[in-house]
Amino acid sequence: MTVTSLSMIAPLIHLLAVSLSLPEYANAKLVGLWPKGMQFDVYGSIFALDDIWRAMGVSIYITVIGTIVTLLLCSLLAYTLTRPMMPGRKIIMKLIVVTFVFPVPLIPSYLLVKQLGMINSLWSLIIPGAMSAFYVLIIRTFFQGVPGELFEAAKIDGCGEQRIYTRIVLPLSLPVLATITLFHTVSQWNSYFSATIYIRSRELYPLQVLLRNLIVDNGANTGMSDFQLSTQFTPEMMKAGIVLVATLPILIVYPLLQKHFVKGAMLGSVKE
Amino acid sequence: MAIPGLAYFFTFKYIPLVGNIIAFQNYNLFQGLFHSKWVGLDHFLTLFRYDDFWIIMRNSLKLGLYSIFFGFPAPLVLALLLNELRAMWLKRPLQTMLYLPHFLSWVIVGGIFSNLLDVKGWMNQKLHNVGLGPYDFLGNSTTFLGTVISISIWKEIGWGTIIYLAALAGINPSLYEAATMDGASRVRQIWSITLPSLMPAIIVLLLLRVGNLLDANIEQMLMFLNPLVRDVGEVFDTYIYRVGLLESQYSYSTAIGVFKSVIGLILLTLVNTLSKKTTGEGVY
Repeated sequence: MTVTSLSMIAPLIHLLAVSLSLPEYANAKLVGLWPKGMQFDVYGSIFALDDIWRAMGVSIYITVIGTIVTLLLCSLLAYTLTRPMMPGRKIIMKLIVVTFVFPVPLIPSYLLVKQLGMINSLWSLIIPGAMSAFYVLIIRTFFQGVPGELFEAAKIDGCGEQRIYTRIVLPLSLPVLATITLFHTVSQWNSYFSATIYIRSRELYPLQVLLRNLIVDNGANTGMSDFQLSTQFTPEMMKAGIVLVATLPILIVYPLLQKHFVKGAMLGSVKE
Repeated sequence: MAIPGLAYFFTFKYIPLVGNIIAFQNYNLFQGLFHSKWVGLDHFLTLFRYDDFWIIMRNSLKLGLYSIFFGFPAPLVLALLLNELRAMWLKRPLQTMLYLPHFLSWVIVGGIFSNLLDVKGWMNQKLHNVGLGPYDFLGNSTTFLGTVISISIWKEIGWGTIIYLAALAGINPSLYEAATMDGASRVRQIWSITLPSLMPAIIVLLLLRVGNLLDANIEQMLMFLNPLVRDVGEVFDTYIYRVGLLESQYSYSTAIGVFKSVIGLILLTLVNTLSKKTTGEGVY
């Protein structure tokens, strides 16, 4: 049990050890889980890299804006789907759930995004993946738990639907909104496939794409190759360091939000 | 207030489904959906006559079946083990570590394992010390599938336990008390109480897996697939990406996608009916 769990973090510790060791040891592959001959300069070299900062900026942008758009669209739709006066609720719900079963085909959706003129724009990384039946279902399930008397009381006090949504439903739904935020933030930060197909210019590459080019093509067309000439570190050490830098945001938010995502995963799994 | 969301589902979920009809056309970007030439089932016929298609079919089936066979029971076993663990102070930190890889991107996971499993990497260094190797785990046709499947088990095993743990928490404790009174051992209790109680969850999850049998994880495959292992590692999804997007053969690759989804749908319907007949459980 413990061994299995430790095997989950051992590879990360190995990378940390490699990145912190002296180049001669790292080169000879002598590093296990503890760095040999400590140095921290590899991180200095990584952060001196313009590409990393720019890609990090792109990643943060698509993650923040993407999450806001997702929260807004999904909660609005889920809200209307819980209101009794909304016509055709049941049919709409079915149509949304159907998208669960039929996966969106790759080529037609690529052509759609192309037709919409979003190729090589960061919107292509935000809009097409903004909503999912899963998110809407989770939020709707939660909204349904809000006591109906609150709505009536608000109505009597003269609130319109918009005010009920912003003043009553949203503030009461922070746990579910936190769950969606976590799910979507992680998936936005981690995704690289959509950027591989929709983004053409190097300046708009998110961090994961930069990283992938570095790992798969060994630094070809990332501008990393000229950089490596000017540094004393081996490519392995640079890679190890950059992988850790890209993991860092996840490692930071992960323990803070752990209790939310377990609950959230449960919310989604409960059928009516 | 519902309009933006509905417009989203219509545009990004339904239009692409309708867009599948380009599989029956010679789609041309400049003529568009409405003016491209109709060719009926031509693309499908080309597909079936093509030798590589059957290789891709075999690879996808192998990857899918192996990952169900090895990947599906893994979280279940782990959840049972975690459930037997009585030390709560140990359980929480262990779970935190187990869930972690799920949150790492495939690029990161790819980086970690290509580093560890490289011919000159740490793993081979260890094998060398005990007089084995070197193995090129990711560049060798015999080990490639096993390596890729093991890595995805590593990434998702902990996360997969969540749903089983929730189901386990819902089992009535008096069942276990009664079993203890009757003298049932721990193993016997797992066999006669725990597993039957988990059955509904297990079956629904298994059905969903079978429905997605031919779907590979494109982000994972693009990380690990390399020319050395194309003969065993090329699956439908990577092929659609390569031929469709990199070589712009839109209609032909959409035909492959349609073929794949049809097989998926047939499989899902089949196993669902079968399971409803035998166990009464089903996805729909």
